[in-house]
Amino acid sequence: MKWPVAIQEIIDEFNEIEDQFEKLEILMDFSSEVDELPFEEWSDENLVRGCQSIAHIEVAVTDGIVHLRSAADAKMVQGLQGILTIAINGNTIQEVLSLTPDFAEEAGILNSLTPSRSNGFRTMFDMIQSSLNEELL
Amino acid sequence: MKDEFPIFQRLVNGNKLVYLDNAATTQKPGCVIDAMSDYYSSSNSNVHRAVHTLAGEATEGYEKCRKLLKSRFNANYAIITSGTTEAINLVSHAWGEHNMSQGDVVVLTEMEHHSDIVPWQMLAQKKGIELRYVPVEDGELDMDAFDVALDGAKLVCVVHTSNVLGIRNPVEQIISKSHNIGAKVLLDAAQAVPHEVIDFQALGADFMAFSAHKMCGPTGIGALLVSDEAFAEMQPFMGGGDMIETVTLKGSTYQSNEHKFEAGTPRIAEGFGWAAALEWMEDIDLEFHHGRLLKIANKVSTELQNRGITVYSSLQPGDAAVVSFTHPTIHPEDFARLLDAQGIAVRTGHHCAQPLMEKLGVNGTIRASFYIYNDEEDADIFLSGIDRVLEAMA
Repeated sequence: MKWPVAIQEIIDEFNEIEDQFEKLEILMDFSSEVDELPFEEWSDENLVRGCQSIAHIEVAVTDGIVHLRSAADAKMVQGLQGILTIAINGNTIQEVLSLTPDFAEEAGILNSLTPSRSNGFRTMFDMIQSSLNEELL
Repeated sequence: MKDEFPIFQRLVNGNKLVYLDNAATTQKPGCVIDAMSDYYSSSNSNVHRAVHTLAGEATEGYEKCRKLLKSRFNANYAIITSGTTEAINLVSHAWGEHNMSQGDVVVLTEMEHHSDIVPWQMLAQKKGIELRYVPVEDGELDMDAFDVALDGAKLVCVVHTSNVLGIRNPVEQIISKSHNIGAKVLLDAAQAVPHEVIDFQALGADFMAFSAHKMCGPTGIGALLVSDEAFAEMQPFMGGGDMIETVTLKGSTYQSNEHKFEAGTPRIAEGFGWAAALEWMEDIDLEFHHGRLLKIANKVSTELQNRGITVYSSLQPGDAAVVSFTHPTIHPEDFARLLDAQGIAVRTGHHCAQPLMEKLGVNGTIRASFYIYNDEEDADIFLSGIDRVLEAMA
């Protein structure tokens, strides 16, 4: 699949690294990309279920442009949220809806995570797309 | 000893495997894997039924597992189950349903695994029985509170050795006090049998549940040892083939031995595997390894604390070599993933003991649990791995 440039760059960055430890370090570095959802705004509605750590995500659409804010207690989940932020923020609803979570697999990120984390990533992705589908209704 | 375990030949993420998740499940020696494979290759057949050669071999191999269990643990009755969880549920259904009624009391502890809490909560809902939980103070059972909770109890269910903390509870004292007031005792011995040889009749418990896979045997099989008195009070739980004596359209009669609690085709290959594991373990000096591993775990615990890590296990003589810990800032999941990237397997989470986690004031811990094939080198690699994580997360 042909990915948007920003995502392709992430895939390439991960694929250049063979060492699992370094791969996870890079993943955690992406946590700096997160636009943080303040603790006061954490709720049952934006809680990511199926994730072993505590994670929340909130999607907003302004003038047709999608913006993700998120938070998590584990650094690696924050890293996944950072990658989602790069993939999503500043794009249109249609552009975000056309994405699939497979890019994380192609980058070898999901392979290096536990199933609960992989599921958590997919759950976050599904939550974002469901929320955007509701916007379109 | 690692030579006997094929799994230690593999690499994990390019590193030698350091397996420290033994409280979850232990690795299997080649003889266990071979026994299961040989059964399917040469003796595959159903048990207790046909008269042909294969059926005879299958029955003999499967029943050998029961014989070895009875002999190792000095028990008259060994019901084969799918594991500890099913064994405890079996007590709840086959004994609890028929011997407990509204207002009766079951004493549990805050240290129990979910598998020794949920079945009793389900029975409580159904029968209106009262559940009392003995609190944990400073990582130990509060025995004064136990004495209070015991008043009028009909059943006491307690974990012999904690899967989270490794602590060995004073089960002898608990059994003695419980029997003094006429209460029966169920021991969750899943974490105990891998570390000590227990004489069931001498210990005097009424029920003892455990799993094969935590003592080098296969997954999917375990046992419930039952005292003569308690066995006489149990009624069949699941109906079906193998547990009956006669069946007519008007009704059925049941077998008189353990088979009446083992309806349907049992776990035959697993029985072969467990028998091989039990025979293999006959040559293992558990007392020697227990002392050796506790020493290693104590060293690891001290080293972790020197690095600013909180350790919850006290690792006293008799406890299992389990080191549960948390770091003040690094999330357990991140810690464990970074260890795994170095080939080091540990467990994270609530370890199916959420009430105990609440008592410890944490959402989860990282748990390194040692077993007979672990050595000083594993501990050194583990500590180096910890240092690399601390450096990366600094």
